[in-house]
Amino acid sequence: MNRADASRIALLAVGALAVLVLPFFITSPYYIHLITTIAIYSILVMGLDVVFGYTGEVSIGHAALWGIGAYTAGVFYIKLGLGLLPSLIAGPIIAGAFGALLALPALRVTGPYLAMVTLAFGTIVQILINEMDFLTNGARGIPLTKLLFIDLRNYTDWFPFFSMPIARMRELEYCVLVLAFLLLSILVINRILASRYGRAFEALRDSPIAADCMGVSVYRYKVLAFVISAVFAGLSGALFSYSEVYLAPNNFSFEKSIEFLLAVTLGGRKSRLGPIIGAIVVVYLPNLLADIELFRGAALTVAVIGVVAGVITAVRRTHSIRRMLVPVALCVGFYVFSIALDKITDYRAAIYGVMILFVVYYLPDGIVGFLKQMRAQVRSRTQQTSRPPLSELSVAEWTPRIEAVQTNKALLEVSQVLMQFGGLRALDQVDLTVQRGTIHGLIGPNGSGKSTFINVLTGIYQPTAGQVLFCGHSLEGLKSPAIALSGLARTFQNVQLFGELSLIDNVLVGLHHSYRSGLFAVAFRSPRSVREEAEAHARAMSLLHFVGLAESANEEARNLPYGKQRLLEIARALALDPQLLLLDEPAAGLTASDIVELVAIIGKIRDKGVSIILIEHHMDVVMGLSDTITVLDFGQKIAEGVPAEVRNNPRVIEAYLGGASASAL
Amino acid sequence: MNIKTLLCGAATLCLLTGTAAAADPIKVGLAGPFTGGSSSMGVSMRDGVKLAVAEINKAGGVLGRQIQLIERDDEAKNELGAQIAQELINKEQVVATLGFINTGVGQASQRFYQDAEIPVLNNVATGTVLTRQWPDAKSNYVFRNAAADSIQSAMIAEEAVVRHGFKKPAILNDATNYGMLGRSDLVAALAKLNVKPVTEEKFNVGDTDMTAQVLKAKGAGADVILTYAIGPELAQIANAMAKLGWKVPLIGSWTLSMATFIDTAGANGDGAMMPQTFIEAPTTPKRAAFIAAYHKAYGGDRMPSPVSAAQGYDSAYLLAAAITQAKSTDGPKILAALENLQTRVEGVVTTYDRPFSATDHEAISSNIPVFGLVKGGRVVAAHPEDLAGDKAVRVKPKG
Amino acid sequence: MDILAQLIVSGISVGMIYGAIAFGYQLTFSTSQTLNFGQGEALMLGALVGLTTVNFLIGQSIATPLAYLLMLPVVLAFGCVQGVVVEVLGVRQAIRTGSESGWIMATIALGIIFRNLAENIWGRDALKFPSPLTETALTIGPVHIQPMEIAITLGTLALALAVEVFNRKSIYGKAVVATSSDRDAAGLMGINTRLVITFSYALSSVSAALAGVLVAPVTLTGANMGAVLGLKAFAVAIIGGLSSGLGVFVGGMILGVAETLTGFYLSTGYKDVPGLVLLLIVLSVKPSGLFGKKGIKKV
Repeated sequence: MNRADASRIALLAVGALAVLVLPFFITSPYYIHLITTIAIYSILVMGLDVVFGYTGEVSIGHAALWGIGAYTAGVFYIKLGLGLLPSLIAGPIIAGAFGALLALPALRVTGPYLAMVTLAFGTIVQILINEMDFLTNGARGIPLTKLLFIDLRNYTDWFPFFSMPIARMRELEYCVLVLAFLLLSILVINRILASRYGRAFEALRDSPIAADCMGVSVYRYKVLAFVISAVFAGLSGALFSYSEVYLAPNNFSFEKSIEFLLAVTLGGRKSRLGPIIGAIVVVYLPNLLADIELFRGAALTVAVIGVVAGVITAVRRTHSIRRMLVPVALCVGFYVFSIALDKITDYRAAIYGVMILFVVYYLPDGIVGFLKQMRAQVRSRTQQTSRPPLSELSVAEWTPRIEAVQTNKALLEVSQVLMQFGGLRALDQVDLTVQRGTIHGLIGPNGSGKSTFINVLTGIYQPTAGQVLFCGHSLEGLKSPAIALSGLARTFQNVQLFGELSLIDNVLVGLHHSYRSGLFAVAFRSPRSVREEAEAHARAMSLLHFVGLAESANEEARNLPYGKQRLLEIARALALDPQLLLLDEPAAGLTASDIVELVAIIGKIRDKGVSIILIEHHMDVVMGLSDTITVLDFGQKIAEGVPAEVRNNPRVIEAYLGGASASAL
Repeated sequence: MNIKTLLCGAATLCLLTGTAAAADPIKVGLAGPFTGGSSSMGVSMRDGVKLAVAEINKAGGVLGRQIQLIERDDEAKNELGAQIAQELINKEQVVATLGFINTGVGQASQRFYQDAEIPVLNNVATGTVLTRQWPDAKSNYVFRNAAADSIQSAMIAEEAVVRHGFKKPAILNDATNYGMLGRSDLVAALAKLNVKPVTEEKFNVGDTDMTAQVLKAKGAGADVILTYAIGPELAQIANAMAKLGWKVPLIGSWTLSMATFIDTAGANGDGAMMPQTFIEAPTTPKRAAFIAAYHKAYGGDRMPSPVSAAQGYDSAYLLAAAITQAKSTDGPKILAALENLQTRVEGVVTTYDRPFSATDHEAISSNIPVFGLVKGGRVVAAHPEDLAGDKAVRVKPKG
Repeated sequence: MDILAQLIVSGISVGMIYGAIAFGYQLTFSTSQTLNFGQGEALMLGALVGLTTVNFLIGQSIATPLAYLLMLPVVLAFGCVQGVVVEVLGVRQAIRTGSESGWIMATIALGIIFRNLAENIWGRDALKFPSPLTETALTIGPVHIQPMEIAITLGTLALALAVEVFNRKSIYGKAVVATSSDRDAAGLMGINTRLVITFSYALSSVSAALAGVLVAPVTLTGANMGAVLGLKAFAVAIIGGLSSGLGVFVGGMILGVAETLTGFYLSTGYKDVPGLVLLLIVLSVKPSGLFGKKGIKKV
């Protein structure tokens, strides 16, 4: 640990302490309760962000998970006579189990379908809470009593500060407890999301197929994301029950789930601060919109921020003045409107709706996203280089970790593979053998079945018939992630990068297989997990260096030029330490100079002992690199051999140029 | 970084913490659902309270000070109700709060008033539990001037079983706190008369098809349907009965007088009966004046929920009388005054003569409500003799 | 047996309402991969505008059935405008930026705004919609049914049929179908896909608004009438399959009948559960819905 780290930790500790002591200085119970509620919401919303922000799935069932946590505490209290502590353990566990249950259909569905699953789940849970009278008291609800943990008033002799009414002491202690849990949640969620787990979640959002083909099982990690999210919902629910001390089924309705989603969107996805801001807004908004003076004050603040942001942007000319004018005018107009408005209660909901629309339109990344953007603009003027340049010297040369195999047996043996879509035979009894250490070219006209072949090899399609042997083992019945982990990596014809992840994180997703430490090790930062992360990082850098992208390691992949994206895909695929690399048209759309670079890299990969199947339309690339070439046409193998042979094969020429012109050649 | 930013957030919140100094007017909280499904009751109640407060202020206010109402919409949501309670108590520093339509919201939020020693006058919510939430407490700050469910259910049971001689009632209620609590009160009241409901069916708020529930009641051979639900769903019950060509009397809680029921059930709703503390008819000069003033202020020729409006109106006068008597806006003193109110308060529901005591926080006793009957789009007295002559103003018995 | 028949008939008529709204979800989803979470509010606005129009016409001493017919074009035009508003304000931006959550939030927000405005314009109470047909139930064998319930079933089917004929026969309809099958390809063929999406939203709101005036005489008319219906219809759209026009009506009937049967034979409290469980089963067995077309993953 160096000095900077130590001072950072000290600062954080002081900050945490300040947060925990803060409530003692707030005299109004109203604000104490408000802070408690906001902190409880924040824990849930942060958990929801794992699903919504990171895996990109919309859950309209989180209110139910919250309710499960809350009712665990409630039922423990009235039926078993157990207090808060057992509930705080059982609540998250039970909610987590339900989270897994909720995610089960995620195997097959995504998008609005999954949203519907969560909605149905939420409705069923609410009905069950309402109907299971014997357990939950049904619609009558469960009253609880507020807790007192330590009677600090016994210590007033030493510390007169603690002299206060018992009711206030209860509220205060609970508030501090909730804040402590919030800090703990921030810490744990931060660590999980910064680890391979967080990268896996984002990977499956940006490209599920690529995630599967990097050995990161989409299904498994989606379920995991839901479970993590549910655990925090359960924790939040258990805390909520003792904060409100009255539970009723209608607390946990569909509207609540929408409110949580709003909190994430408003505050900003993929951050810890965003959910807290979002929670503040949704908890405080009803009060804000009830009090006209307060509302005017808030509108003025928004108008000032809007004008300042507008001026900054206008000076920098990052956006056209006209485009900026609308939101700024809206901010100012909002203030004028708030002055003109004299009766607020009747139009509250509409104002709420307009605010959401405004955020969706002009703050698509939420308030935190907006702040980050502003900060970036301010920074870009003061310091041009935000990060120190990466030292080239520290990057080790990449070498694949492949066990040397002393055998003459072929690496890949495909026999009689048939792939049928309805009446169409995309692959028709194809045989193909790839020898170790070679580049095997695969060519054919468009629609001849090349990509289908790759998809069959990588488990995206299950072949109708035939057999695939890889390293002597059959791939039959294996899913994409298992195939990827057995040493078969690929790139994609239409680039499938994880757009919102940085370059290095893209490669780190490929290195997912190299980790051994689990979720708890990550959450509590075990020495092994720290070491693993450092090792993986170094290896990812060496891979980026290998394809010449080390300088832009921290940039988002989606901002990369097209040619470089293809190189990044290769680096990511190599991170799997594959025996066989499948390159699907790596040169498509590349400039001539990019192609030269690409050819050199492919050659180097082979020289390091990785076998390659290369699909390509650039004949000079294929002919120059390949040791053997197979030609497909209408799903059938029409030729195979060394490049020179294939080049002169009349059937190949016919396939490429059409029957009539074949004789002319 | 995250903890730093959290700190910033907490600091901002602190800035918002400003404790308002006691202002000149007397601040009174007014909480109820003013938007959403049960808002017609909330808005009628609010309008009734505002009407009374305007009259009181015009006449010079209380203790020489004007009453200022702090309105808050609880949207019929428990959690929001709890937040509002704390806001009204700690931020607005109200001296008392009027309102509450939904029993659940009352249960979730009134403990804050109890802890803060600030009186609450429930003017619409009927859940029996509300005035007895803390049986062991030294004093209870929750009062009510609405007919509690225990009163209403006993009246419904008696009307059905004794007056009309029905022996096979079916209970239909909504699956909310209101409906479920009402149903258990109703079952208990029937049991006292040695009658057991032939079936008990429920439905969700927002359901539009009641065929299954009505068929079950019909199948069980019910000779009367007793209800505990609110307007829109009650109308669907009446409509489903009409559709199935099955006609048995509909008797239920006071919500059968809601305009949503009367309008949407139309002719199908005629004949429905319910206990009413107030029927929109000028049976006394006071009532005539109230009805005229209400329509002058808010338009229309029929109140959306006359009972809510009248009880809201009365609650404001009860509170004003108590503050005047206490000569203080101090919670415990107002409580003492309410529990021992010296002045007779002439309201529109009844004339309140010592309506509360230390042990009894219910201003409405079982003799006050009468049965209303839906007839031609209005609620009229089911038994006009109940309101005839000197029985027009029914007063809570002493002691 | 008589009771069973009655329950099934009731279930079907409820289910057709769900189907009509779900049909609207399906229209927009097929062209734009988005849907209007405020569909219930589109229905509510249609019903309320219809109510005002009908009441105005009745005030001009026009007979109720005629007033009802005269009101239909007004509601149709209104639905059109409302749909365009939703698309322009809520969806267009999200489609342009490819934002996944943007349109969900925006359409929910618009729904909230519409509901609040309706509360302020038409009041908070449910209102009575004058029925164009007699409200005396018909007795067919053991089954009682209101004429309006028959009208709902026929009306929604006619609506679906009209859209189907439009899609098959007219050139505009073909543009819609083309955009549904492949938006990019349709764009390359010179179809203004943005306009098609706007149009599909208009059509979707029209179908919701017409469904609104169809159901209003049977249910209640008011600012809050759409919320529950919109949610149920969402379930129906998923059961039937977001890509199948016919599916939503079958899905609607399945859910409607499941509700009434459970309500009677099991418990009214659990009324909604079997439908939702069915939905979960459908999704885990056949993710594209009962009638949805299964797409081949393209890589």
